[in-house]
Order: sequence, then structure tokens, then C-alpha cells
Amino acid sequence: MGAPRPAEGWGAPQTADNLPGGLSGTPEAARSRTTAAGTRVRMTQVEGKRALMDNDTSKPPKIACEKICKTFIQKGTQQVHVLEDISLEVFDNEFLVILGPGQSGKSTLLRIIAGLETPSTGRAILDGREVSGPGPDRGLVFQSYMLFAWRTVLGNVEMGPKLQGVGKKERREIAQHYIDLVGLKGFEKHYPHQLSGGMKQRVGIARAYANNPQVMLLDEPFGQLDAQTRLFMEKETERIWQAEKRTVIFVTNNIDEAIILGDRIVTMVGKLPGRMGPAYPVDLERPREPTDMRFLKLRYAITEASELVL
Amino acid sequence: MTTGTIANEIVKSVRERKEFSLLAVIRNEYFLYLVSSVLFVLIWHWAAAEQVLGKSLATPYAVAKELARLMTIKLAGLTLLGHIWASTQRILIGFVLASVVAVPLGLFMALNRTVNAIVKPVFDLFKPMPPIAWISIAILWFGIGEASKVFIIVIGTFVPCLLNAYNGIRLIEPELYDVVRSLGGNRKDEILQVSFPAAFPAIFAGLQISLSIAWTCVLAAELVSARSGLGWIIVQGMKLTKPELVIGGMLIIALVAWLTTLAVSGLERLLCPWKRHIEGL
Repeated sequence: MGAPRPAEGWGAPQTADNLPGGLSGTPEAARSRTTAAGTRVRMTQVEGKRALMDNDTSKPPKIACEKICKTFIQKGTQQVHVLEDISLEVFDNEFLVILGPGQSGKSTLLRIIAGLETPSTGRAILDGREVSGPGPDRGLVFQSYMLFAWRTVLGNVEMGPKLQGVGKKERREIAQHYIDLVGLKGFEKHYPHQLSGGMKQRVGIARAYANNPQVMLLDEPFGQLDAQTRLFMEKETERIWQAEKRTVIFVTNNIDEAIILGDRIVTMVGKLPGRMGPAYPVDLERPREPTDMRFLKLRYAITEASELVL
Repeated sequence: MTTGTIANEIVKSVRERKEFSLLAVIRNEYFLYLVSSVLFVLIWHWAAAEQVLGKSLATPYAVAKELARLMTIKLAGLTLLGHIWASTQRILIGFVLASVVAVPLGLFMALNRTVNAIVKPVFDLFKPMPPIAWISIAILWFGIGEASKVFIIVIGTFVPCLLNAYNGIRLIEPELYDVVRSLGGNRKDEILQVSFPAAFPAIFAGLQISLSIAWTCVLAAELVSARSGLGWIIVQGMKLTKPELVIGGMLIIALVAWLTTLAVSGLERLLCPWKRHIEGL
């Protein structure tokens, strides 16, 4: 699974002739791709349609935000209004992207859903119950990785089960499963400082997954990566998510990342306080190609309507 | 997904094979270490032999001969090794006493606001006092025996031990605690899984600094009043106008202090294999 895309990436010229039908119309069902290291990897096609069918919007939402406002008090008296009247519903196994510029309060919203901040008014609801604090049912991935520098890859990933009181042998097995899933097999004994940025975030994702959370919350996880690694990691995120489906809320400021990954994109606009902008369903089959005409159309529509300069 | 596919993300250090040439030898750092050491000894010898600084500079040979002599003959009942041990023993006792109290106290202050509020005003009063300033009062309180010297070392090493433990905890990224909480941990897990291990390198840095301060303290104490120790040897050299004894004592102190620092950083490497170690001066 993954990305059947030419190695040239963004720069690959695509004529109008092979645009209709998008990437899935490419003649080969499976194509080889050459990584920068020169390893040839076999990539197979995914039926993108199936992914869209998986989330069922007839059931009650997995997560609901009801009229959330958030005001921080700085230096005793100064009030900073961060979020204004945010209402949002996320459905089971949906990949929701919250797209917004810096300072639009999207990270704060994610932290409220995670239970790390409390809303000033309104409430966040998970499975019908109000969120009152952080918990292992929500896995968090941070922009700055936040790995335990003193623990190996294995030690980082098994931390969740360890805190849950899972026995040593069992948590090793769980950790190994997710290390394999994110593609870090062979790096179990490495310390974070021995890994590159992309690999560090793989550990971050595996660590969040290892607790078997129902919801994954990712806060600009690839914000510190270079463009190529970022694109690669986006494809990897898609692959991992399709291998182990979860409800995902993915915060980003990158339009392409939002369209590549999201079942639905919710925009946030404004600088302090952040408000809800328009939402966009992404009816493109996976994996998505940034050069697909419909991709570009959606990209254009979002750019037109929002304050994102991209 | 195999290891190979992410090989492009691995940071590799590639060591290129260099061809042998004269230029490469001249630029080789170990060769330059040797050149600079030999030059230093030669200049020292020249300055001593020509009496550039008067008669008070002994030649390297005279110093070496004096040190060799001290290995066998006894000065105030102790050979050179005995004096080295006298100083080292004082340092170890004072250093252990101070760190056993100061490190936990610093950790507690950083983790608990009440403890911090109680200890901080008193600590802030003593913090800026140079440990040497305590020598007179130490002698008044404890006499000129071992206790006063150990006391000075405790005073001198207490501050950096406590400060580094405290800062080590205070400088931890608060988001690391968020990770523990979101993984289902409680306050106890935050402290055991994040606070202590994350502060470990800072604690060790504090111990390193304390050790070098301890040497300063023990010398100062021995210079003022002692019947043994390396500081006492230096004072004897001064009283007897034997520059080779003074310089020899100084060299031995440098050597022993360097060895103890080496031992502590070796211990750190053993206990913190996750830390990125850099070659410092």
C-alpha cells in the first residue's frame, strides 16, 4: 500500500490526457518507486472508494465540540481570547483535518479535546461523555515529537501499556507490533537522538497507537520536517491509518497535507480568537495525487475562501 | 515496510579514507597535540634555565626529580601519595555529604512549591557567598582539624549541586508531562518517568562543577591551616623557597583533579547512554 507516484514528485509533468480518472487511472496497478536511498519498494494500489465507505455518519458522532470558547488569562489580568464558538462533530473512523493558519487556535482546540485544557464555556464530548481530563483513549502526537530522550524506541513505544499496568512480556509484544507498523523494525534499541526527524515522529505515532486509543490527535506532526520527508510521512500516515483504523483529528496549516489525508477538512479562520470557517468533504479516492485536477480544484476553492496564503 | 525503505532518513557518518601525505601528518590533531606539549616544556625549560623570571622558576627536570624524591621520603610523616590521599579524602567526604543532601533538596524544591517557598529565602542568602569566606568561621567553630576542611567543601559544593538539580527539573518541556498524562499516567508517573530521568544530566553537570569547586575549597583550607595535603605541600615549598616543590604540587593537583573529572564523566556515560556526548574542553 502507499503511494504510486513518480519519483520526481511535485515536479512530474502530467498532461491533460491522463488527468481524467486521476491517479487511479494510471495504467499500472502496481508500480515501483525508488527512495532516496536507492531501495526499490513495491507499492500496490488501494481501492480509494472503500476508505470513504468506512465512516458511518448515521451513528452519533464519536467526538462533539459544543460551542467551545477559550480565554487564557495572562500575567494575572490580561485576557487572550483564543477560541470563539467552536462547534464540531467527528464521526467514528473519520479522518478529520483541522486546517488553519498559525494563531487560529487549532492547537488549543486539540488540547481541549485531549483534556489537557478546559474550555472557558462550552464542552467537548467523547462517546457521549464530557471530556474532563486526558486519558489513554486519546493518543496524542506532538509537533516537536516529545519523545523520552532517555528511553529507546522500544522504551518510548511501550510507555503507554506500561503506565496501564500491562505486564512486561505483553507490552513488549504490543510495542513491537506498532514499531513494525510504523516501519521502525531494527531500530528498537536506538535512542531518539540517533534518529532523523521523520523517524522520531514515527516513534511518536507508534507510541500513541500502542495504548490502542479510539481517537488519534495529531498536532501539526510534520511541521518540522522538510518537504520531501513530509510528503513521504503523509503517505505513511495514510498507510498506517488504513492498516489500523481510528478516528483521527489531524491539525495542520498545510493545504496539500489536508487534502492528501482528510476525509473532511474543517477550516479555522481569524487571528485570536479563531472561529470555524467552511468545511469541505474530500470526495477523492485514496491515495490522492496533488496533480489531480479535482485535487487542484479543491485546493483552489479552499484557498479562495480562507485566509491561507499558500 | 522494511528497514531499507527508510534508510534515506538515517543519519550516517561517513569516514573517508585519506591518502598518506606530509600535509596530512602536519594537520593531524594528535601530531599537533604532541608538538604543542613538547614546545611548552621546551619553553618552560628555557625560561627556567635562563632565569627569565628570576630564580623562582624550577626547570621541568628539577620538578620531576623533586616529585620522585617525595614518593620515597616522608614529609610530615606522609609520602606524596599520602598527601594526595589526605586531600582526596577530604574532598570525597565533603562532596558526598553535600550532594546527598543538596540534590534531593533541589529536586524537592523544583517539584513542590511549598518546599521551595520555605527553603528559597535562606538559600538565596547563602548562594552568593564565596565558600572561601567561610574559612575563618569554620576554624572558629571546628578548629584546625579535618572537620573545618570538610565543612568548607560542603559549603562550596552544596550550592552548585542544589542549583543544577533544581534547574534540571525546571527546564523540562511541560509537554513531556502532557505525554505521560495522555498515556494514562498520574502525578507519580510524571515524576518517576519524566522529572527524574530528564533532570539526570543536569544533576551530573552539577556534580562535575562541584568537584572542581571542591578542589579549590580544599586547597584554600589547606593553605590556611593543615599538616597534610597538597595545599600544605605547596605552602611548604613557599616557606622553604623551593619552587620545584610548589610547581610539583600544582601539577599533581591538576593531575588528580583531571582524573576525578574523568571518572565522573565516565560514570555519566555509563548511566546516561542516551545522552549525546560532545567533546568539550
